[in-house]
Amino acid sequence: MSTQSTSGGFGALVRRIFRSRYAGALISLVLVSVFLSLYQPVFLTWPNIMNIVKSNSVGFILAIGATFVVISGTVDLSFGSATTASAMAFGLLLVAGTPLPLAVLGAIFAGFVLGAINGYLVAYAKISFFVVTLGTLSIFQSVALVVNSGTSVSVFSVPGFSALNQFVNGNIGPVPVLLVFNIVLFLIAGGVLRFTAFGRSLYAIGSNIEAARLNGINVKRVLLIVFIISGLSAGLASVVQVGRLTVASPNVDMNLLLTVLAAVLIGGTAMTGGEGGVLGTMIGMLFLGVVQNGLTLSSVSSFWQGTLSGSILILSVWLGGIRGVLRAQKQKKTE
Amino acid sequence: MKQEKVQAGTVLVDVKGISKSFPGVKALSNVDLTIRAGEVHALTGENGSGKSTLSKVIAGMHRPDTGTIRIDGELCELENPADAIERGIVMISQELTLAPTLTVAENIFMGRLPKSSWGKINWSKLNADAVQVLDRLNVHVSPTALVSDLSIELQQEIEIARALSTDARLLILDEATSSLSEAATKRLLELVVQERDQGMAVLMITHRMPEIYAVSSVATVLRDGSLISTVPIPQTTEEQLVKLMVGRELGDYYSKQEIAQGELVLDVKGLTAENGAFDPADLVLRRGEILGLAGLAGSGKSEFAQALGGAIAAHGQVRVADKAMALGDPRATIKAGVGYVPDDRKGSAILPVRDISENFAMAWMDRLTSKGLISLRRQKSEVASAIQDYGVVTSSADALISTLSGGNQQKIVLGRIFRRKPDVLILNEPTRGVDVGAKTEIYKMLQQAANEGAGIIVISSELPEILGISDRIAVFFEGRIVAEFDGPTADEEAIAHAAVAGAKRANPPAKTANETEV
Repeated sequence: MSTQSTSGGFGALVRRIFRSRYAGALISLVLVSVFLSLYQPVFLTWPNIMNIVKSNSVGFILAIGATFVVISGTVDLSFGSATTASAMAFGLLLVAGTPLPLAVLGAIFAGFVLGAINGYLVAYAKISFFVVTLGTLSIFQSVALVVNSGTSVSVFSVPGFSALNQFVNGNIGPVPVLLVFNIVLFLIAGGVLRFTAFGRSLYAIGSNIEAARLNGINVKRVLLIVFIISGLSAGLASVVQVGRLTVASPNVDMNLLLTVLAAVLIGGTAMTGGEGGVLGTMIGMLFLGVVQNGLTLSSVSSFWQGTLSGSILILSVWLGGIRGVLRAQKQKKTE
Repeated sequence: MKQEKVQAGTVLVDVKGISKSFPGVKALSNVDLTIRAGEVHALTGENGSGKSTLSKVIAGMHRPDTGTIRIDGELCELENPADAIERGIVMISQELTLAPTLTVAENIFMGRLPKSSWGKINWSKLNADAVQVLDRLNVHVSPTALVSDLSIELQQEIEIARALSTDARLLILDEATSSLSEAATKRLLELVVQERDQGMAVLMITHRMPEIYAVSSVATVLRDGSLISTVPIPQTTEEQLVKLMVGRELGDYYSKQEIAQGELVLDVKGLTAENGAFDPADLVLRRGEILGLAGLAGSGKSEFAQALGGAIAAHGQVRVADKAMALGDPRATIKAGVGYVPDDRKGSAILPVRDISENFAMAWMDRLTSKGLISLRRQKSEVASAIQDYGVVTSSADALISTLSGGNQQKIVLGRIFRRKPDVLILNEPTRGVDVGAKTEIYKMLQQAANEGAGIIVISSELPEILGISDRIAVFFEGRIVAEFDGPTADEEAIAHAAVAGAKRANPPAKTANETEV
């Protein structure tokens, strides 16, 4: 397929995109963007678009991790709580005077440990991923409350704050640092999925776990790593979250769970596992971000956002099914 | 049960000019079929020939693109299976459609439970009705037993009981015997004959020759979606029928070659599975040897293969090429030089949503990877040559494996293991659900692997296959190996007897006197 598109030029590339699993999200993204740029002049301005990117960065980082998990045929419901717990670790470390780089490593390490707990319970103790992560969703949240008696930690006045602020709000020329960071993360994740034995094993496990096991894939280890990746992305996301809010809050942002999983699913990664990728997730996240931005620009009450993103999720997965049927009928006609 | 009896020989279903296309394939083109009451009509052909599609059209599961269906001479549009059932057409496919957590009676009358006042279920009537249907089939099982507690064979009979309880006049059996043991198959065929003699029409989709000759009086052969011929049975010989199905001479069907046996390659001592499916078993295998394992479903032969293949937890001593092999871990099995192919292709072999390329490459991950990175270029060339070598029919290596026929899928499942050149191959039902043409190619693959020095164990429920390919045959019965036969001289009846009775016949008839005990 890839050789065809390079030799076939632009037309082949367009056809390839239209056949892809994220075609629906991409077309919707384009349509909504065109609509908004016609009716909201502010929409198609550089600062506004960069604002969309920055305000969805926490979700995007988590969605990268969640994409790995969903491809493996499992789901991690606890990443929101893990982000909150990591954020508290990060905030407390900063306030205790830990230098920023070490505090960042500490937050990532916290995410790693939380992910490893999920991974161990799912892969080695063989407990259902749904049960495990539903349990840890509650546990991690509770831990986040316990460590500082339920109160937030403000990092506004810690010595490392200006550097942290530079990371989450600063620019390199006209380009936000966060955008560069997100793109690097996206490229690494895409590369891992496509070019590593681990990535290919992930698709195999998601598609048929018993076949993967019988063909010598180390299923337990791969699943452990998948949940660790989810934990690491929670650790990274917590750094961005604390930086943007200037405080580490012990309360879980419940919207994150829906937004992140919705971005993954809208982007064409199948809930049943074995299919999908981070490109789709990025498009899905952008789409949700653009819709949210459009609502804000149109001064629609933010209370409606949940209704809209929930509906978009259901609609897009439904339309994905219709796309399969249409494609089948078209093929039939050409026979 | 009220059942409208039609005189035997009356045309019940008459199908004319049926065509049906699916994305990428013309599944049926202009097919005619006439089914008469009191007649078993065999519908046969290779996989992908369209026989399942045709039966689904008749059962209301697919709507034809063109063509007509007449039932009792009346033109019908079957919108869905319920329409067909209403007209007395019931289909039983190889996949069971029972609810395992419900009782036998609830399953038989699913959706039609007898009610008393206030919508309460009339349990006594339900159970009594169930007993009546079960008696008619001569099946002795309590109507209140849970289906999940029954053997697969009994479950299949419950499925048939359900079909009969709906006043069926045409019973369509779609490869209904493919997951049954010989004994259960025999029992099912007896039921078919019994119902036929009562005036039932039966359309039996199968490519098993013994079944066709056991019960049917007419056979329709499809090939590539077209009607080839409708011929009388048994006037048409098996050879003629196979020729019609395949469209060419089969040559030597099993491609059996004389292969010199080499050194001992597998030595099994006291192998037993943790689930207790079979008693501690001993077995040896030489390079170049093909050992067939026969036995009924539930005899332990399949679990023995799973234990050797590392698919299930097991104990015992297994030495491969004189090195001890760890049990219960597929990774250790592969490393020791054993290749295992499971019997459940869909459930434990293929990656249904991935392409052909990845389905091959998943078994070669270690060889294609260096420093954790996979070489997509090497993968591409290796896959291309494997597609060529194993004769996988596809337009592209990027096609999803689930778009291929069962035979082509199985060539990939086997090929990816054979390509690793293991010392020992454990093949659990390697030709299940595979058409005649692909079977011959798979037998050739087996011969080639044996020629290259592999020791091969083939587990199969099809005795003719076991007889055709094996150098040595071992028979499982209730968890033990109870008899061994020399492949070339063994006879089908003797093996079947050992599989059912648990021992060799005391007084073998003259023609099997030269069986050698090993």
